[in-house]
Amino acid sequence: MVKDGFTSKIKEISEQNPNLCMQCGTCSASCTGIGAMEELPRQVMRLLQLGKDKVLESPSIWMCTTCLTCTARCPRGIDIARVMEALRVVNLRQGNEVLVLEDIPLELLTEVPQMALTSGFRKLSA
Amino acid sequence: MAIPYFPGCTLKTKATGLDDSTRATLAALGLEVAELPEWTCCGTVYPLAQDNYMGKVAAARILINASKEDDGRLVTVCSFCYNVLKRVNHAIKNDEETRTKLTQFLEEEYAGETKLVHPLELLRDDVGFDTLQKKVNNKLKGIKVASYYGCMLSRPAAEMQFDEESENPTVMEDLVSAMGAEAVDFKYKTTCCGSYQVMKTYDLVVKKVREILEGAKAKGAQVIITSCPLCQFNLDWIQEKIAEEDSSFDKIPVLYFTQLLGVALDVPVEKLGLEKNYVDPKPLLQG
Ligand code: SF4
Ligand code: SF4
Repeated sequence: MVKDGFTSKIKEISEQNPNLCMQCGTCSASCTGIGAMEELPRQVMRLLQLGKDKVLESPSIWMCTTCLTCTARCPRGIDIARVMEALRVVNLRQGNEVLVLEDIPLELLTEVPQMALTSGFRKLSA
Repeated sequence: MAIPYFPGCTLKTKATGLDDSTRATLAALGLEVAELPEWTCCGTVYPLAQDNYMGKVAAARILINASKEDDGRLVTVCSFCYNVLKRVNHAIKNDEETRTKLTQFLEEEYAGETKLVHPLELLRDDVGFDTLQKKVNNKLKGIKVASYYGCMLSRPAAEMQFDEESENPTVMEDLVSAMGAEAVDFKYKTTCCGSYQVMKTYDLVVKKVREILEGAKAKGAQVIITSCPLCQFNLDWIQEKIAEEDSSFDKIPVLYFTQLLGVALDVPVEKLGLEKNYVDPKPLLQG
């Protein structure tokens, strides 16, 4: 993936238009990732509006739990969770992943329900 | 006639308590379910990338197989399975490109005919809470129960169509009342527990879990119920970790709604899989 024109790629994969965002911050206030994220969802949307490709490297996109609270509440009807997913997908398709089996503590690995592994790897691993 | 039933992977391994208690309670209420033949993993999460069709194939195959059974419905209880199956079915029904791609790949004719139902909906619509109320014992009398829905049952509202208000569902509270227990309302009921981030951003999940537990306890809840094995794990297992470091921490059992229902219906306790719970619910349930 080239960074040139990355916003059009994000728009295509997410089928969402970040330019509709009016920066109200409802998504950030509702976000599960608050406290762990540097850029909150509102700021992610702003970076996309400005075409700043550093958003692709934002650790925040990997803190998302795809809980869809932001999506449920956005007054502009933007499916923000899809935008966050598109930012991950663009990374994952280049092999940039954050969840690696070897890094999961054994104590957790042996106890977590299977769905934690399948969902985590689907969202966070290439 | 038996309704096809999709347990999903987690119910065959870590969450056998949810599988056992679902089957036992539905049977006790005269609802016969039959495991769907040759089922596979549903894919766990609904792909949010427009061009990810492969992530929908497994769910599509399950829905198609269910459509070949006579009943027309498919029952599943795991919140993740319910979410992904329902969303894929919605996409097949409403999006022509998705329908064409998936059915051509699977070489099947299917337009979303299978009706996916959650046992909570079966209890409300097929059994009826009024009828249920007449069938329960009084073992849960006075027990305060917080109903935790999490994310997957009701979001996104337009596709899930679960209960009347997506941000404030009440079907579990209505079930709690019908079981003879006392439903407490708490504001964290549709918040996220942190989900699969337990493996990557563990501290975030501990924070979310604490909020949910403290929110429920502040309302006087003595037990939390859920239908999601990942919520159950996060809320239950992490409590043990918190308690190891903080001896003043008050633990609260986290059960599947079907386990609590089983107690109310006099289902033999060995059929409820309570031994897999980390925080022991027996002292509470034995009164
Ligand atoms: S809630 Fe919607 S409009 Fe408001 S900041 Fe977030 S994306 Fe923008
Ligand atoms: S889907 Fe992701 S970005 Fe949106 S509220 Fe949940 S964690 Fe935050």
